[in-house]
Amino acid sequence: MNNGKITASSMWFRQSMRLLHHELRRGELTIIFFAIVLAVATVFSLTGFSGQIKHAIVANSTNTIGADRVLRMSAEVEPSYLVKSQALNLVTARKIETESMVFAGENMLLTELDAVSDNYPLRGELRVKTSLAQAESVIANAPAPGSVWVEPSLLSRLAVNIGDVIEVGVAPLTIAGVVTDIPDRSYRAFIAGPTIILNIADMATTELIQPGSRLTYKYLFAGESEAIATFEDWLKPKLNDAQRWYDAKAAQNRLSRVLDTSEKFLSLASMLGIVLAAVAVAVASRRYGQRHQATVAIFKALGASIRHVKKLYCLHWALLSCLSIATGLVLGYGLMLLGANAIASYLSLAEAPLTMKPFLTAIITGLLCAIAFAIHPIMSLVQSSPLKVIRGFSQEKTARFGWHQLPPLLALFLLLFMFSQDLVMSMALLLGGILVSFLLLLFGRGLMSAGRGVGTKAGKSWHLALANLKRRASENSVQLVSFTIAIKLLLLITVMKSSILAEWQQQFPDDTPNHYLINISQAQIPELQQFTEENQIANQGFYYIYRARLSAINGEKTISAEDVASQANSSEQGSEQSNEQSQGRRGVGRELGLTWRNELPIENKIIAGQWWQEGDQQGQVSIEQNMAERLDIKLGDELTFRLGSDEFTVPVTSIRQVNWQSRQLNFIMIFNQSVLEKFPTTAISAWSVSTQDRDKVYRFMANFPTITLMDFAAIMAQLNQIIGQVSVAISLILILVVVAGSLVLIAQVQASMEERERELAILRTLGARGKLLRNSVLFEFVALGAIAGLMASMGMEIGVYILQSQVFNMTGSFHFQYWFVGIGAGAAFVGFIGMLSCWRLLNLSSVTLIRRTM
Amino acid sequence: MHVNSESILTVKNLTKLVQVEDKSLTILQPLDLNVVEGETLAIVGSSGSGKTTLLSILAGLDLPSSGQVYLKNQPLHQFNEELRSQVRAQHVGFIFQQFLLINSLTALENVMLPAELANLPDAQARGEALLSQVGLADRLDHFPSQLSGGEQQRVAIARAFIAKPDILFADEPTGNLDSKTGQHITDLIFDLNAREGTTLVLVTHDSKLAARCQRQVEMDSGVLTETTKVDDNTPLNQEEFTSNQATDKKNKLDANHKVTQAG
Ligand SMILES: Nc1ncnc2c1ncn2[C@@H]1O[C@H](COP(=O)(O)OP(=O)(O)O)[C@@H](O)[C@H]1O
Ligand SMILES: [Mg+2]
Repeated sequence: MNNGKITASSMWFRQSMRLLHHELRRGELTIIFFAIVLAVATVFSLTGFSGQIKHAIVANSTNTIGADRVLRMSAEVEPSYLVKSQALNLVTARKIETESMVFAGENMLLTELDAVSDNYPLRGELRVKTSLAQAESVIANAPAPGSVWVEPSLLSRLAVNIGDVIEVGVAPLTIAGVVTDIPDRSYRAFIAGPTIILNIADMATTELIQPGSRLTYKYLFAGESEAIATFEDWLKPKLNDAQRWYDAKAAQNRLSRVLDTSEKFLSLASMLGIVLAAVAVAVASRRYGQRHQATVAIFKALGASIRHVKKLYCLHWALLSCLSIATGLVLGYGLMLLGANAIASYLSLAEAPLTMKPFLTAIITGLLCAIAFAIHPIMSLVQSSPLKVIRGFSQEKTARFGWHQLPPLLALFLLLFMFSQDLVMSMALLLGGILVSFLLLLFGRGLMSAGRGVGTKAGKSWHLALANLKRRASENSVQLVSFTIAIKLLLLITVMKSSILAEWQQQFPDDTPNHYLINISQAQIPELQQFTEENQIANQGFYYIYRARLSAINGEKTISAEDVASQANSSEQGSEQSNEQSQGRRGVGRELGLTWRNELPIENKIIAGQWWQEGDQQGQVSIEQNMAERLDIKLGDELTFRLGSDEFTVPVTSIRQVNWQSRQLNFIMIFNQSVLEKFPTTAISAWSVSTQDRDKVYRFMANFPTITLMDFAAIMAQLNQIIGQVSVAISLILILVVVAGSLVLIAQVQASMEERERELAILRTLGARGKLLRNSVLFEFVALGAIAGLMASMGMEIGVYILQSQVFNMTGSFHFQYWFVGIGAGAAFVGFIGMLSCWRLLNLSSVTLIRRTM
Repeated sequence: MHVNSESILTVKNLTKLVQVEDKSLTILQPLDLNVVEGETLAIVGSSGSGKTTLLSILAGLDLPSSGQVYLKNQPLHQFNEELRSQVRAQHVGFIFQQFLLINSLTALENVMLPAELANLPDAQARGEALLSQVGLADRLDHFPSQLSGGEQQRVAIARAFIAKPDILFADEPTGNLDSKTGQHITDLIFDLNAREGTTLVLVTHDSKLAARCQRQVEMDSGVLTETTKVDDNTPLNQEEFTSNQATDKKNKLDANHKVTQAG
């Protein structure tokens, strides 16, 4: 009997494989497989990709600030600081950052200027290529005076080559090479233009530095860590809140917080698709469980034990989970490489290693989908009584609400928590999601019922189709919700890209400014003014601009929200300059642009107090209403400002309402002349340039290379670019939702296949023609898609209305033309997928159909 | 070899009640029954009389509401689902009215199943042999959906015999088939049964089919009555028994199987 024993131990395995083998040709496992693959691939690529980006930027580069410590400020440093650092044998490098126009012949471009001292960088590597043919870049320091390193994209955008001369401010500088690595490059989300690195010695010749110019000064320090520590102890008490002292770690922490946030956001958005994939798993496994009832009952009737049956199905599920998770990981890896390839020109991920995190996250996601959403049907399958072979296999309806819904809900919560790391947020999203789905379900049901009524009058095929749609309403609701979401995303992208911005631009009157001039010196103003008068260019004059901090309100020092946050984390980033005062009144947290005026600017309205008289020697300030509310500032409050090394205190004499949407130059704080006039500064202006004057203006402005002329169209182009980038992210989610939604639809159709076969057979025997049958099936899906499209269109209008009223501050408008797009796209797509999944059914000959079901 | 006089199935005071909404409905009145090894027994009765209910209790698929069921001396009424499964795997074969093949397995795989569950060696060889005995040698790899009703039932018959069960339960095995096919199926069952010497308990509403069994009992609204026919109504497999044995058995039956009728 030895032979028999060996057979026994592997027998269940062989039986299980046999069942699985035949099962693979049926639909449910395929659906479950694809759903898990989808979820795993999404999570893996997303987590892996952002992990690699983070690694490439943060962890891998030895130094991201080009020094051991950086002191960043908006003015030059006190000489005594540098004397002290020299005494401690610290090495110092300087860097000035600003934005400016550069010119090459007819072309001009807004760029990031980095003026650096000869020994820059102190840590990390600046790498350049002095010829484009050169394969390897070489380590470099600041370019020699008279020359610049530029980022490669500048060459094509200005149509220049290495060796050509570009004008930076008024200085002609030669492009000596392209820069491939900048150790302390800024990863701000949307940088205006390519970076140019020039020698700090050339900064004076550019004439870009004017009093009041918007510049960032960085002082880089490197040396023995003890010396650094001593310097830090000496320096920190002397710093004010406009000066930041940080090390590489603090800079990285800041950066990785930003990256974490965007990763979190994307993962949560992708939850939409993952939930749908899980729903597909749930639908398919319920169907699978029902279909296998007979098998289990027969197995048991023939003497198989529960243990035996459990082993059979656990093996199925284990194999299915492993296979789909593995496939998902491979696919996700592929997607990740695609992503890395797409950003390769900007950031190389080649050396960023994969951590365990994406693997773990993706595998957990896959397991949760495979187990939590399938456990109930599989468990009740295994429990099937053998008595069923005698009493028949009822299609047991599981209760709508019950304990069996706990595992899926728990799994959803776990996923949300895994992605957000935030208990409250996960709870809110889960409940919110349930609420929204519930509302959509309710509404969709209503529409399906309404359709039933309409269908009675709309011909036989439609009648049948809509009757079926209503009868399967509860099964159809899930698809309805998923396609509604997908179509809504599609519509939102379309409307956002094509309509909102255009409508927003159209609503401005003709003399709305479309060009902005920055960095105008006092001496240049008369000439420019004369030009605008001669050419009748509409403008609201020149505004002197001053950068200052609100340092106290009624003598109470202010702190910014940012400072509060950094204090909370101060143990983790101890080297970041911490604020001396731990308590204080809520402030602004950034430098404000101040100006003075004799007359109230247009689009401004006094809502409290009074505007001052011209020539009033008593210092006064007028504050914008929202800011006043936020900081709890009342008329008569005394505000103290720190402008460079000066400090002054003035009373609030009026509160203004400002139309921020006017595209005029708007200011939160406006002073009377006597307060600010003594400080040297530059001015800005906003002009409305007509199309025919455009060339003339540009030719004239070429005489003033130190002035940055910004075309509003260029700003709009940048905004469009941002919207484009957001759309890409939304499109990815959209694709995910569409694929997952289709899986749910196919799973649902499969679940209703026998029922459909029976119906068709009955209709056939009653003499219905093939066309009627086909149309009744097709129209059912078309109607489902159309209803989803309709709901999506309404949802889109709500979304657009919120965007228009909250973000763009314009009056809401309807976009009926997109309703057709939504309804059409829904009907076509769902109709197509539905027909595809019913293909077999529709192509069965009527004889087979009747034989099979009768 | 079995000792013919030994009883394989003994039922005492068995009843079955089911709960329908708030009322309890008696499906089987208290009944006794004894089946000896090698015997063929027919339970006849009109539809709804409780035959299938009785059969499912005898085979250990269901539990009685009261009373005892011994199959191969094992007290099924005291056994849980798992233990009853074991008994079925070792001693019981089934043929159902609806064939009940596993749709996703081939004919041969369906037939092999009980042998595998009972850990018998040579499942495949035996399966092939049995399928050719029922005339399906060339349909081994076909799926149930590719077979006619009669062919499916032939597969089910092969499956019923593969594990050499001690007792075979057949519930209206020809109920879903036309009369000609039904005849063929019946011949196959009795043929194989005779060859294997299996005890057969056959449920049917068809008196002609019942007549081929050595002994008949009748079920009427849950009440079981012995109706064994006179000796000249020769059972098909009588030649397997010596007349001695048959008489011997007959006496035993008369002595032991008093069918009780409750009031
Ligand atoms: N679980 C049950 N619940 C309610 N009634 C049942 C149940 N099982 C069987 N019955 C009823 O018991 C009676 C006997 O059924 P059954 O044994 O299938 O009869 P037969 O096989 O003789 O046609 C029928 O009236 C049937 O409806
Ligand atoms: Mg019956």
